[in-house]
Amino acid sequence: MKTPVPVLRLPRGPDHPDSRGFDPSSPRFQALRSTRGGAAAAAAGLPELREEQQARSLLRQRYLRSLLAMRDAQVRFRMYERVHVEARFGASDIDVLNFQVSDLQTPIGVQKEALLRCPDMISYSLEL
Amino acid sequence: MAMRQTPLTCSGHTRPVVDLAFSGITPYGYFLISACKDGKPMLRQGDTGDWIGTFLGHKGAVWGATLNKEATKAATAAADFTAKVWDAVTGDETLTLAHKHIVKTVHFTQDSIYLLTGGNDKVLRVFDLSKPEADPQEFTGHTSAIKKALWCNSDKQILSAADDKTVRLWDRNTMEVLKTLSFDVSVSSMEYIPDGEILVITYGKTIAFYNALSLELIKTVDAPASIHSASLHPEKDFFVAGGDDFKLYKYDYSTKEELESYKGHFGPVHCVRFSPDGELYASGSEDGTLRLWQTAVGKTYGLWKCVLPEELVSENSDTLYCNTPEIKA
Repeated sequence: MKTPVPVLRLPRGPDHPDSRGFDPSSPRFQALRSTRGGAAAAAAGLPELREEQQARSLLRQRYLRSLLAMRDAQVRFRMYERVHVEARFGASDIDVLNFQVSDLQTPIGVQKEALLRCPDMISYSLEL
Repeated sequence: MAMRQTPLTCSGHTRPVVDLAFSGITPYGYFLISACKDGKPMLRQGDTGDWIGTFLGHKGAVWGATLNKEATKAATAAADFTAKVWDAVTGDETLTLAHKHIVKTVHFTQDSIYLLTGGNDKVLRVFDLSKPEADPQEFTGHTSAIKKALWCNSDKQILSAADDKTVRLWDRNTMEVLKTLSFDVSVSSMEYIPDGEILVITYGKTIAFYNALSLELIKTVDAPASIHSASLHPEKDFFVAGGDDFKLYKYDYSTKEELESYKGHFGPVHCVRFSPDGELYASGSEDGTLRLWQTAVGKTYGLWKCVLPEELVSENSDTLYCNTPEIKA
């Protein structure tokens, strides 16, 4: 026998009778507004700033996704003092200050687990 | 047999809700647009009914409303003799298409490039939205006001229902009428299911199902009251209908058996549609509200939260776990 299910809350209605809505801070608006025409950008007041912020946000997202894609991959790190090492990437900390790696190949042997300091790195590369 | 369920009532409109449409499933969920005689069509989040925005601009009752698959564009048909195309993300009006009489129905092609309109001037029009200044293609033939027009058969054909008691199938390119269905009374609503090519038509107390390509009758079902609108579930196991007696009826499509009926609206039901995932159906009524109903009563979905009897008295704050009960009657 089916029992009616309780409802968490009622659907939200308009704020007031003549309210327009379409909240510009909603995720959908933010994500899709780059395809929208000039009207939205002009309304923001500082179109170049918005565009730059848009680009920053896109690049950051891309970088974070690249960190996710790196998991368990063999990565070569180019560090200061002409240090080149290779390791299996584990994870980054939240501020991207340290990388947790495994089987770090160093001139004095293989380190099972290690933490690499990101400020020590010049660049890193891997094959996808 | 009347059963109980807790519908979600969406308020906001101040006059009867005459039409509603769902978008497809997008990365942000699915959406619902409602057409209202107050002239202010609204966009809502499909699974919760939460209001997102109101399309402001029409100067008369809005008779028809539709969304494209991606819910990026909306179109509305109104008594101010215009059809309008809107940006469904920002709420901005993108295009106003002037007509010679009340516009009743609007429908996008799958690629959202063409808009089909129909209304009281008895003419079907196809507008190329990429060339808004160009004249629309005009399809004449109906002898009375057009109530509903839809693209079908991969947008190669058009189906139209009018007060002349006919439903016509048109070829989009040759502009000829390929087939005509005649009825004793005016058709009250029409729904097209592309997957399976089924056409759902309501007239009088009847809900009729046709093959959308051949216009051959599949089956008819009679309801206890005059029906204004019906919708077939995406999996084609149920259909729902509503009309003059204010109730929503749910039927088994294969057996034609009436499974459930719900009271709730305070006025005749003008439109009813299943959501694209089939988990709920929405109804619009003369009472000015939209109501969302669960297809499988007892399930946790959207704002409906299944609570097991033990949890009602439980004091711990462990995550609630709910077994979905058997859904078929």
